[in-house]
Amino acid sequence: MVAAVLGIRFRTAAHLLRREWWRALLTGFGVLWVVMMLPSLVWIRAALATQDAQIRGDGLVAIAALAGLGWVVVPLVVASLDDTLDPARFRIVGVPARAILPGLLVAALLTLPAVFFALAFAVIGSVWADEGWAVQAVAYAGLAATLLCMIVGARVTALWGTRLLASRRAKLVTAATMLVGLAIGAVIARSLFIEGLSGLVETDLDTLLAQLALTPLGAGAAVGRSAAYGDWWGAAWRLGLQAGWALLLIGAWHANIARALVRPLSRGSGARRRQDRVLDAPPTLAAPTDAPAAAVHARLRRAWLSDPRYLASLAGVLLLPASFFILVVPVFDLDGRWAYAVPLMLAASVGWGRHNDVAFDSTGLWLDVVSGRLGSAVMRGRMSATVAWGLPVTVLVALATVAWTGRWEDAGSLLGTTVGVLGVSLGIAAVFAVATPYRTPAPGQNPFGAEVGSVGAGLAAQLVSSAVAMVVLPVVVAPFVLGLVVDPRWGWGAAVAGLAVGGAAYLGGVTLAGVLYDKRAGRLLAAVA
Amino acid sequence: MTVPALSIRALVKRFGETTAVAGVDLDIPAGSFYGVVGPNGAGKTTMLSMATGLLEPDHGTVSVLGVDLWGHPAQAKPLLGVLPDGLHTFDRLTGAELISYAARLRGLDRETVRARRDDLLAALDLAEAGSTLVMDYSAGMTKKIGLACALVHAPRVLVLDEPFEAVDPVSAGAIRRILAAFVAGGGTVIMSSHVMALVERLCDHVAIVGDGRILASGPLAHVSGGSDLERRFVELVGDVQDQRDLTWLQRS
Repeated sequence: MVAAVLGIRFRTAAHLLRREWWRALLTGFGVLWVVMMLPSLVWIRAALATQDAQIRGDGLVAIAALAGLGWVVVPLVVASLDDTLDPARFRIVGVPARAILPGLLVAALLTLPAVFFALAFAVIGSVWADEGWAVQAVAYAGLAATLLCMIVGARVTALWGTRLLASRRAKLVTAATMLVGLAIGAVIARSLFIEGLSGLVETDLDTLLAQLALTPLGAGAAVGRSAAYGDWWGAAWRLGLQAGWALLLIGAWHANIARALVRPLSRGSGARRRQDRVLDAPPTLAAPTDAPAAAVHARLRRAWLSDPRYLASLAGVLLLPASFFILVVPVFDLDGRWAYAVPLMLAASVGWGRHNDVAFDSTGLWLDVVSGRLGSAVMRGRMSATVAWGLPVTVLVALATVAWTGRWEDAGSLLGTTVGVLGVSLGIAAVFAVATPYRTPAPGQNPFGAEVGSVGAGLAAQLVSSAVAMVVLPVVVAPFVLGLVVDPRWGWGAAVAGLAVGGAAYLGGVTLAGVLYDKRAGRLLAAVA
Repeated sequence: MTVPALSIRALVKRFGETTAVAGVDLDIPAGSFYGVVGPNGAGKTTMLSMATGLLEPDHGTVSVLGVDLWGHPAQAKPLLGVLPDGLHTFDRLTGAELISYAARLRGLDRETVRARRDDLLAALDLAEAGSTLVMDYSAGMTKKIGLACALVHAPRVLVLDEPFEAVDPVSAGAIRRILAAFVAGGGTVIMSSHVMALVERLCDHVAIVGDGRILASGPLAHVSGGSDLERRFVELVGDVQDQRDLTWLQRS
């Protein structure tokens, strides 16, 4: 069965590569990136090898813990898990979960990220070579168990996340996750702001790493150090903890697969809605007035409230600005004014996040296309639905940031610039959503999954759209920065320029996107469905 | 001479090395109930997708009541009502909301939409299901709500890809009555189907599609040539070449 499952995985990839040659190019870039990372791995290994066993162990624990968190978080944020072997696809075959699990596990171990991390652990983990073969062997065993936990953990988290987002509690779960994340972030930020990074490293890092080494996040990586100290009992129980955690995760994965085989996600739990919220949508300032655009706006507002894929995007856009405020500002002991980057990053993140917005409607796009030459209405409706929540949120965050710094004299320029960044990034995103759409999970499918190869296509579109944003956004942000560091009078210019350029870019982008939409209407469906 | 409801000229579509539609010419008379039949993979859905603005042809033209669909989509698309096969829809809306959405896209005012939406839900036996999310619909209910979306703006030409697939007999009867009334009122229905008996019962014209070409087209009696349509269909497209018995399926 392992061979059969792997066969499906690799044959699918081969068929896609034959059909669309550029996927091979992107895969090639991925392999090239892995090769280019090799010197860095060797450098990290060399740096650790010169340290004593304590620091070597700490380094490995820190790397393993960060990588472990990354494996859990990244698939949820960038929808990057290859969904060729989505357990739900095996429903029609009628095989039990235990029959396909080994194949899925081996396939998960053979993905490019898994191979890269295996290589990384093999190189960096060899720092114990001078302690004798026995120490090196158990160190590798610990790292292997750690890697297994990462890979299986990512699958389990994505499946659980999918189930939660598909449930009727999706909104509650999203809000709760964001609140818990912000609460944890607030605690970290408070410590960092009070003690600074150096203070925290001196007082708390040792403790943190020691504690991590007692958990599944770092126990496996600490096995080598225990063995190097001759603490074989400590090495044994850490290895046991890591292996036990891996087994637990595999058990959870098995349970999730078994559920996915008999419980489709795409059902709406029998929810009923008496009020027609397309025809009698609650009024908002952002809603267009003409019937087609208003209908698209109303539909997209429903999507933002109920579609797991949009809810996942909503949570994802907050990650970068929140991380900046919680980690970067205190760690680098930056001037309070650096916090102004938070609303600006949030505005850019909200806007740029819509660069593949049209593809989210891959299954229903036909209705928009057959209903007329509606490119302008569709794009105005789509983007205004983002503005309906994005504008108030970014303005509120900008005001909160000003309140935090206490520099109310910067409020006007920050607000104008924030609105400008949102307008520019939404305008750019609107154009790219029509010009370079790439496939996303369809409604009802795993919102964290991605068709094999589409991750690369997505990355290419993301790179180009973000490069354009990087070029255009400084036009809006530069007057604001000049107002902060050169002459406060620039601030007024920033406020006016932000509103004017942002408004113009939004209108221009959405208009251009509408024209492109009409030109590409006969190709869009094939591009995203 | 009256303008055809749909006029297709030299329509071609290739997907890589596969030619799905290989130069189709077809005139569909206004006021006809036109059946399009063909084996699986014959190119019916691809042809209808190009004829409704869903898929850009590599070559050729499509006119709806004399209006060039790909040249003047803003004028041509309002004349069409479309029910594609195999495509889902915005299934996080309720059935009522989906009909309202389709109608508002067509620019209808709120009161007209409200009245037509309720009429369609009742006529298609979806009144109770109107408040349920479309994602919870069965396949047949999804077909019916799709048909409602195609009808809501009172188009002149209906293009329906497998409209009766998965629909229960009672609902099928309701759909037949609606479509017959639509044609009686001067509208044109173009319907693809694999069910020959249904095409013979409903349609006055038929086209048989095979290998991306029109193998025969015209009035039903002319195409079937005095025989029944299924026999004529098999004659034109060819029977299964290797009719081997699956003896291993028989119980010992």
